[in-house]
Amino acid sequence: MDAASPSVARRAAGWFQHRVETAGAAVLATGATARELWAIWLATCAGVARRASRRHVQGRPRGEIVRQLYWIGNRSLVFIAVTLGFIGMVMAYEACLQLSRVTGDYSQVGGQLLKLDVSDFAPTLTALMLATRVGAGIAAEIGSMKVTEQIDALRMSGVLPIDYLIVPRLLASLVMTLVLSVVGGVVMYGAGGLTAKFSFAVNPGVFFDASQVHGRHVVLMVLKAVAYGAAIPVVAGFCGLRARGSSEGVGWATTAAVIGGSLAVIVLDFVISAIALVILGGDL
Amino acid sequence: MTEPAAFIEYRAVDKAFGGPPVLRDLSLAIRRGEVMFIIGTSGVGKSVTIKLLIGLLRIDGGEIWFDGRRVDQLAERALVPLRKRIGMVFQSSTLFDSMTLAENVALPLRKHRRLPAPAALDEARRRLAQVYMADHAERYPAELSDGMRKRAAIARTLALDPEVVLFDEPTTGLDPVSARRIDRLIRELASRLGVTAIVVSHDLTSIFGTADRVALLYQGSVRALATPDGLRASPDPVVQQFITGQSSGPMETPGF
Repeated sequence: MDAASPSVARRAAGWFQHRVETAGAAVLATGATARELWAIWLATCAGVARRASRRHVQGRPRGEIVRQLYWIGNRSLVFIAVTLGFIGMVMAYEACLQLSRVTGDYSQVGGQLLKLDVSDFAPTLTALMLATRVGAGIAAEIGSMKVTEQIDALRMSGVLPIDYLIVPRLLASLVMTLVLSVVGGVVMYGAGGLTAKFSFAVNPGVFFDASQVHGRHVVLMVLKAVAYGAAIPVVAGFCGLRARGSSEGVGWATTAAVIGGSLAVIVLDFVISAIALVILGGDL
Repeated sequence: MTEPAAFIEYRAVDKAFGGPPVLRDLSLAIRRGEVMFIIGTSGVGKSVTIKLLIGLLRIDGGEIWFDGRRVDQLAERALVPLRKRIGMVFQSSTLFDSMTLAENVALPLRKHRRLPAPAALDEARRRLAQVYMADHAERYPAELSDGMRKRAAIARTLALDPEVVLFDEPTTGLDPVSARRIDRLIRELASRLGVTAIVVSHDLTSIFGTADRVALLYQGSVRALATPDGLRASPDPVVQQFITGQSSGPMETPGF
């Protein structure tokens, strides 16, 4: 036993040291990744500025932003409408169900739901859906260009890959996240109103009530939609540019883009909502 | 830190990708107008070596000089003029999937030479005609064979009239006839236009038919640097094993 104790202690110390080293390496790697992501974000902003100042007109063929608007916007429309419509139905049903058990007074439910839709649910749920559809698409496209050396070939052709690939997607995503948030919010609220009418006989005239929504809620919606719209393509493009190896690397990049994009939306939602609460003194 | 006399010079270059070093203390000087073959087994760092020259990868230590100027520390945007003078033909041709062949060839003309799009497309079609691809100018890369894609990729690289062309395994995956045509093209570029060519290859026929000099990479640095005849006469058993293609011998090939 005497002979065994020091060796057990040593092994325990070795195990502990190994754990600390693993954790430290993970922290360092996360820090490095965050710095790289930040660098890509700055480079993207610089690319937007170059495009705006027209020093860089020979970027992608002219229709690229239009193509991306169509791809991110129009092609996501049905997906967003269906998902947000169902969520709106469930939310209205649940709200009415709980109220029916307590007071049975449905006069406030529509107005309150609209306030929540505008200030949070419409932009956030839309962006979560876009993070899967658009984020995965961007990461897969850029990731396969990376692993087949097309990114290197672009650089050899005198093209800055971020200006060429990420900037048009960012601009299109900014516009379309906002547009789809509005569309998604309308569908969500409309579906909720129909559910309330047919399940709980709530008069649509009572349900569709915009009196609770103020300018600050709309501002919050726009801010959130813009933040999400910027985050999704940059995170996805970053994941795509980091793809290594072959098709497996593209798979990893796509997965990372969906996780990273969704996480970015949730974290931004929290941060923006918290800041708004502080600024407005809790009056949201 | 003295200025090297050679056109392109690698000085004690190190490169690793987070694991054991790929290149270790690699030094190599390339003269203007010569056809230099970089040979070696797979994974020995041949492609890495040429990508370091044009900043597609970054060195960990050492220096790289091109035409009297140190180039290994240049920022991405400062590398743009360098990439106009040094072209690269990638291993898998690497055309842009979303563009026709003419648009592929026109892209570097628009970006590097600032040609307006219609003029660039005209020039691109002329360049494609030089490699007998005029009929396919409006087709997409996915519709074409490997050999055709390779020719288009070469046309895209040569469209800028580069002084140096880097070929990453230009004959790999091609039939013998197409491969010999690529060899002849490289030879003609050097002798007729004075283009310096650095060719990564393990195609023995190419090496002995085309090269002015050959550098054999082994364990991260240059094991032998000689003319093809000098290489054949080399007493080094590693060199002999490579050029005779023996499966057993002194050569250590990691992971195989």
